Amino acid sequence: MAEHRTQMKIVGEILDTATQEIDEYEGTTITHIIRNANISHGRLSRILNNLVSQGLLEQVTSKRSYRYKTSPSGREFLAAYKTFREFSDDFGLTI
Amino acid sequence: MEFFLEIILNLVGLLVGLVIGTISYIGFKNTASPTLFRLSIAFFAIGIGFGILAAGFILDDFIFKTGDINRGISTLGVATQVVGYWFIAFSHTIRTFFPKSRYFRSIGAIPLFLVSFNYVENILRAVSFILLVYGAIETMLSYIQGRKKSTLFVAVGLGLLGFGEFIGWYSFVFPETVLYVTSIIVKIAGLISVGIPVSKIPLRKISFDENL
Repeated sequence: MAEHRTQMKIVGEILDTATQEIDEYEGTTITHIIRNANISHGRLSRILNNLVSQGLLEQVTSKRSYRYKTSPSGREFLAAYKTFREFSDDFGLTI
Repeated sequence: MEFFLEIILNLVGLLVGLVIGTISYIGFKNTASPTLFRLSIAFFAIGIGFGILAAGFILDDFIFKTGDINRGISTLGVATQVVGYWFIAFSHTIRTFFPKSRYFRSIGAIPLFLVSFNYVENILRAVSFILLVYGAIETMLSYIQGRKKSTLFVAVGLGLLGFGEFIGWYSFVFPETVLYVTSIIVKIAGLISVGIPVSKIPLRKISFDENL
């Protein structure tokens, strides 16, 4: 049975993906995030806009498309998320 | 001896509850996770509940000297703990526990009143027991899925707290036996077991990891 993912978990996976650099360009493409975070394009667009407006992601303009990279505050959030994901896992709960 | 053990138990409970509650709250402030918010309310309530009971025993030991905790204080302490246990159970989606049929729901409620109709405190303890058992089972299921040792410690801890409560009931039936002391020791072991995973969490500010 497919595991139900919370919004928090999806955000964590998106930020985690956006910290990776897949080629010589800065940031990650939407296609790469869709593959890694396993999320539909429509839903991802809404979450990306939200994360950019909150300053957790930075939008980088590349040659033909937008790319996204995790901002310093996004990296701090990601570090906290990973720590407390472990903590809530200890209680058998999903963050 | 029993009074001394009760004070130790409740002080350990106060400490464990406040530490886990504080860490959960720090987590909530950092991530805005509703799960961590519920967990912080749960453990603050459990810690405060134990603290109220500890205060009750200490007050009686040093001031009132009646040989028993004030019933009002103990009811307040137990009620506060029940709120905490409820939040833990709620985090595991408690609605899946209760039978959906109204008939079965009424049958399920009868034993609570048969066992302890006389005292609100005993009813609350019965509710605590149910919530603890539910929390322990759900946490054990999570352990079976993830095979994470610290989850097992929490599951065993919640189970021991419930088992301690259960033995505590028997001490009403067989007073002046070793059961009461055993129940307190089992509960202390449960609290320590629940607190073990917390030792891995740093109580300093979360800093940026350069390797991310």
